[in-house]
Amino acid sequence: MLNSIWNRRSFLGRTAIGAGAVIGGSTAIELLSTTRVWAAAEGSDGDILNFALTLEYLEATFYERGNATSLITDSREKDIFATIQKDEEAHVQALTDTLTKLGVAPVAKPTITFPAATFATRESYLKLAMVFENTGVGAYLGQAGSITNKDILQAAAGIFGIEARHAALIGVISGATPEGGIYKGATETPIAKADVLAAVMPFLGGMPNTGFAPSQQSLNLLPTGLAIAGAAAAVVAFRTRGSRKPQQ
Amino acid sequence: MNQDPFEGRSVIQFSDERDRRAFLKYAALVGVGGSLAAALPMTKVLAATSPSPNPSGSPSPSGSPSPSGSPSPSGSPSGSSQFGAGDVGILNYALTLEYLEAEFYQKGLAANILGDDAKYITPIAAHEAAHVTALTATLTKLGATPVTKPTFVFPPTTFTDKATFVKAAVTFEETGVKAYHGQVPLIKDGAILGAAASIAGVESRHAAVLNYLAQMPPVPNPVEQHATMDETVTAIKPFLGA
Repeated sequence: MLNSIWNRRSFLGRTAIGAGAVIGGSTAIELLSTTRVWAAAEGSDGDILNFALTLEYLEATFYERGNATSLITDSREKDIFATIQKDEEAHVQALTDTLTKLGVAPVAKPTITFPAATFATRESYLKLAMVFENTGVGAYLGQAGSITNKDILQAAAGIFGIEARHAALIGVISGATPEGGIYKGATETPIAKADVLAAVMPFLGGMPNTGFAPSQQSLNLLPTGLAIAGAAAAVVAFRTRGSRKPQQ
Repeated sequence: MNQDPFEGRSVIQFSDERDRRAFLKYAALVGVGGSLAAALPMTKVLAATSPSPNPSGSPSPSGSPSPSGSPSPSGSPSGSSQFGAGDVGILNYALTLEYLEAEFYQKGLAANILGDDAKYITPIAAHEAAHVTALTATLTKLGATPVTKPTFVFPPTTFTDKATFVKAAVTFEETGVKAYHGQVPLIKDGAILGAAASIAGVESRHAAVLNYLAQMPPVPNPVEQHATMDETVTAIKPFLGA
C-alpha cells in the first residue's frame, strides 16, 4: 500500500513542483543533518490523518487509564496529566471530524492493550508516556512533507507542537536530563511511518479498517522502531507478546 | 499577573529606520496570506475547545484555493524588502526572531540569576544559538543574504530577577511558536518546511518548560495557535523602537 503506484506518482508530482520552487533538498541539510523523512510521501492526506488518529487513540486511551490510577499524586502534576488527556481526546475528535468532512472514513478505534506493568508504578507510567509523546512528535514531523492540503498541514503542525509540549513536560515531571530527555536537541527528529507503526504495534491489539495493517515490511522494521523510540517500556510490552525478542 | 515584564519598553532597536520600515513592510506583505486555516473544520473544532479563537484575524474566503505558499499577494511590493520574498523571506523573518531569543537567553544566563532553573534554560540558550547558525547557513547556501542582527535593547529589570526573566521568556517562546506556525502553510519548499517545523517543535518544548517554571499553564491550547507576520510584529511592537 505504501508503495503503490498511486502514491509513487503523487510523490514524483510533488517532487517536481517542490524542486522547481526554489531550493533543492540539500538545503535543509544545513538545518537537519539527521533526516530526510519528508522526502518520501507516505500516503494521501486521508491516510496520514488516519495514521495520526490511530496514534491519538492510543495516547488518549493511555492517559485515560493512567489517570484513573492514583500514580500521580502531586496536584500540579495531576493537572498537567489531566490537560494532556484532554488534549489527546481533542485531537481524536478533531481528526475524526476532519476526516469525515474530507469524505474519508475515520479508522475505528483500535483495541488497545497495555502490559500490566505499565500502570504499576509512577515510573513505569512516566516512562511509557515519554515514549508515546516523543514518538508522536516524530510521527507528525515525519508526515510534514507529505501533506498536500495546506489547511490540514497547518492543523497537523498545530497538534505536533502540542505533542512536543507534552513530551517536554513529562520529561520535567520525570526528572529527566534536560538535554536528551526534556529536549531532544535543537531540532526535532522525524520518524518514518513504518518505524512509528513498528513502535506502537505491540499496543494495538487489532486495527480494523486502517488501511495500514501491519505489513511484513513494517514487522521487519520492529527492532528499528523500538530503537528509535528508545522504548524501554515498549520492549517490555513486546516481550509480553512473546513472539520475538527485540535486538539491542 | 498580567504585568508586562518589559514595562512597555523596547527590546528591539533596528540599526536604522530603514531596517525597521523594511521589517514592518515585509510583515504586512507576508501576513496577508497567513489566515488560511480559519475556515478549516479542524480549527473550528479546536477553537471550540480553546479559550481564545483562532488568532488569524480575517477568515479566508470559504473554499478559496489555497495560495499554496505564495507569499506575494497582489498589491504588495514583493522582493523589495531586505528580507526577500518567499521562503527566503520567511527564513530571514525566523532568523530575526531567533536572534532576539538567542541574545535574550545569553544575557539571562550571564546575569546568573536563574539558580536551579539554569539547568532547564542553558540548553534553550544553546538551541536558539544553533537556530541562528542554521538559518544563517541555510540562507547563505541559498544564495540569499541573511538579515543582519538587530540591536536589541532589554529593559534593565529583565535580567535582575528570575521571575521577571522567566516570564519574559514565556512571552518570547509563545510568540516564536505562533510565528513559526503562521508560516507553515506559506513555505514552498518541502525541505525547508520540514526544517522549520523541526525548529517549531523545539520552541514548543521551550514554551512548555518555561510556562512550567513560571507557574503558568504549560499547554494553553490543544493545538498550537498561529500568528501572521503582522500579528507577530504587533506582539513585539511594544519592544520596537518608537
